[in-house]
Amino acid sequence: MQKIEKVFELTDYKREDFSVCLGCKICASVCTVNDLSIDMNPQELLSSLFLGNTIEKDNALVRYCTNCYRCTSACPWKIRIPEVVRALRESLSVASPFEKAFKGSIDIWGRVYEPYVFLKAVPFLLKEGYIKYMTRWTGYISVHLPHKVKRI
Amino acid sequence: MDYGYYPGCSLTGSARRLDKGVREIFRKLGHSLNEIPDWNCCGALEYGDHSELAGLSRENLKKAEGMCSEIVAPCPACYKNLKEANSGNQFAILHPLELFEKDIMASLNVKRDLKGKVFTPYYGCVLLRPEETSIRNRNIMEELITFFGGEIEGEKIKDRCCGGNQFFANKWATEKLSTLILEKSKGIMVVFCPLCHMALKTFSTGRKIIYLTDLVLYMMGENNII
Repeated sequence: MQKIEKVFELTDYKREDFSVCLGCKICASVCTVNDLSIDMNPQELLSSLFLGNTIEKDNALVRYCTNCYRCTSACPWKIRIPEVVRALRESLSVASPFEKAFKGSIDIWGRVYEPYVFLKAVPFLLKEGYIKYMTRWTGYISVHLPHKVKRI
Repeated sequence: MDYGYYPGCSLTGSARRLDKGVREIFRKLGHSLNEIPDWNCCGALEYGDHSELAGLSRENLKKAEGMCSEIVAPCPACYKNLKEANSGNQFAILHPLELFEKDIMASLNVKRDLKGKVFTPYYGCVLLRPEETSIRNRNIMEELITFFGGEIEGEKIKDRCCGGNQFFANKWATEKLSTLILEKSKGIMVVFCPLCHMALKTFSTGRKIIYLTDLVLYMMGENNII
């Protein structure tokens, strides 16, 4: 329960905002997560939040939402489900090492300094087999010093 | 015309090519881009706390006060976040694609057309959705390509997701989604999002994935990318 209240705190939504959901499931029909062969119905997530039911870390939308906003676009109420999912991820402390390094860089410099993010994520990149793609990334490598933002 | 410029973090690093292209085309159009001093990261789509995320872009708008009334932001996530933070419409937040209409681009010194070449313009999610922060003309890349003689083939995949947001969390998901787009599209992929560029490039086998800025500069004889 505590965590669900936290989700509402993090978004601009209030619990009653989800009472308007008509259960039309158009969000489910357009959700990108379905292209991963995972049956996904974002509307179930909204009703769980509305009813105060617990949502676990291994919920497929929590794990795989791509922030594509196809659901929002299709929704008659334009509910920003990806932002609700992001709040859920935050309240459940779900973040990949890369995402942690991304925010860590902003905490240090006020900007994302890619060499730092990359180095922090090296163990993850090695473990997950990203290294085989390195030859395709040569065009993305940029050697520069970090800029420290004065005011943020 | 003088514009404020918000490059965003990617354009100072992995998407430096896009930054250079945008600056070059603006210069050729006779506009100047003045970087917002001391700009900070917009937070992209990485923050669960909505007020924390909005605060980052509000800070950038404060830094732009007094220096410009129109801000150009090429990175889709930065563009969206700045637009959302600009609730009182103090500034006009513009994406380069909104200034690249075909009648404007026709004024450039174009030396080569695109005849006989096949393209798939791919916008990625954030330039098109949510609608209230999307670019004005959602067919601009198609219009530009066909105006200069290029052909567009393949299935309609412009509103599909490449999975770039999952790239550094669950790469299998990005691989599956990007592969789907690559299989359904034809010819040269033309993009504007740094993350789409990286995802599609990583999972393609030999397909040309280029920024629209590079295509424009190709037509002007500035590169031989295609």
